[in-house]
Amino acid sequence: MTSMTETTPHSTKKKVMVELIKVGKSYPPDVEALNEISLSISQGEMVFLTGRSGAGKTTLLRLLCRIERPDRGLVEIDGTDLGSLSPARLQQLRRRIGMAYQDFKLLKDSSVAENIALPMEILCRQRSFIRRRTKELLEALGLGHKYNARARDLSRGEQQRVSIARAVANNPDLILADEPTGNLDVESTARVMDLFHEHCRRGAAILIATHDPKIYAGGNFRILHLANGEVIEQFSPASAADEVKPS
Amino acid sequence: MNFVSAILIQTWRNLLRTFGSQVLTLLTITLSTLIFAFFFLLYINMINVGSQLGDDLRLVVYLDEEPSPALQEEYRERIQRFDGVDRIEFISRKQAFERFKKELGADRDILTDMPEDFLPPSIEVYPVRSLNNLTRIKRFSDYLLTLPGVLKVQYGQEWIERFYSFVRLLRVIVILSGTLLILTSTFMIARTISLTLLSRRRELELLRLFGASSAYIRLPYFLEGALQGFLGASIGLGTLYLLFRWITLQFSGSALFGYFPFSFFSPLVSATIIALSTLLCAAGSYSSTRRILQV
Repeated sequence: MTSMTETTPHSTKKKVMVELIKVGKSYPPDVEALNEISLSISQGEMVFLTGRSGAGKTTLLRLLCRIERPDRGLVEIDGTDLGSLSPARLQQLRRRIGMAYQDFKLLKDSSVAENIALPMEILCRQRSFIRRRTKELLEALGLGHKYNARARDLSRGEQQRVSIARAVANNPDLILADEPTGNLDVESTARVMDLFHEHCRRGAAILIATHDPKIYAGGNFRILHLANGEVIEQFSPASAADEVKPS
Repeated sequence: MNFVSAILIQTWRNLLRTFGSQVLTLLTITLSTLIFAFFFLLYINMINVGSQLGDDLRLVVYLDEEPSPALQEEYRERIQRFDGVDRIEFISRKQAFERFKKELGADRDILTDMPEDFLPPSIEVYPVRSLNNLTRIKRFSDYLLTLPGVLKVQYGQEWIERFYSFVRLLRVIVILSGTLLILTSTFMIARTISLTLLSRRRELELLRLFGASSAYIRLPYFLEGALQGFLGASIGLGTLYLLFRWITLQFSGSALFGYFPFSFFSPLVSATIIALSTLLCAAGSYSSTRRILQV
């Protein structure tokens, strides 16, 4: 297991995977979730999204996989404007995105293996490959013995790890994780972060919405702090006071 | 794994997950097919019986005078103008007398003092043997009565009308049971698929979020419907065939079966019924997925 404090260089020039330009999103009656947000995330970069509950973190993640559409502004994934995608192209793009949801979105009556296999089956992977990859992910997350267990029989922490395993199963180019360590102990958190670091090294862009400062403490990551619908960019481990800069 | 295998695996999984309702749907389709096919088989065989009625379809037109060759030609022309006729025979008074004498057999002596021309001349009209003509025989008879010199028209009116009523009833039953088959096939499948889809909304939402194509989501349900239709119709027809074999064995010596050779559907008709059921169920499934999934 690698250290969870491993850093991701943010200074080297890499292909931009996520680009948001002046994105705004409001909800009725007058909740301004996101206001003129601009940011970019490159390939192989791990970025953390922080902020209080209701600050708009989940909304931002949902815009990136087009579960929701922005009211204004431009959202691009790998140079493709999400607003102008045909259904077929959206499907293709979503296959390159892995999202771990805050509410896990597991199929409770299905087994752990079936849950993790779902995105791989969509890509019509070989059965043997799916089995091998599922086992590999479960081992990495300390759930090797839960392969055939029903999702409903798992603890919340275990369900969360299954959701993360499913998100990364296809080695996606973009990983979005919404509070991925919210229900995990220290060891499980380390395993999850190791998995993310491994995918980051392979070139995936990762955006993690979190309340847990421990998962980026000591590393050299970009931290995007959301407050009042706006984003303030910081760098860890330096203190926010030193490096705060408006986006 | 290729796309086809993935779809087949999904279909198989769907079937297993909702096994109870699948069995119920299959039973309903089987029963509907059985009911429809039973009456349809009866109807088809009755049509065959109708075409084999033979002499019972003969109309005898009695005339007041023996027609001259020119008049015979005119009768022939006017009869053929009305409907398809197999053949027309003119029976003179003498021929009628000879025929009657022959029919009396040993009792022919009673005709000894009778004049040979006491029986009226007649025309025997044999319509083309088909159910269609059978249903028009009354109108044909009415038409023949309007011809000049015609005294009376005789045919197996009562028997034919009863037979025709029976066939007409069968036709109504076939239409009703066919409608039943259509309704049960499409609605039962649509209902089953709808319930499956509603119970699996979460999974379908996930499939979309992970980029599953519309075909990937819809095809398993479409196949499920088609498979139900195929199996339901095949089992229904198979059951009817066994029933048919059993009945023909049980009544093989009876006069009815000896006179009218009842037969089962031809392979083409059987295949058409199965194809129709498959198509209907696939259509029910298609409409259901289209309505609920909106993809």
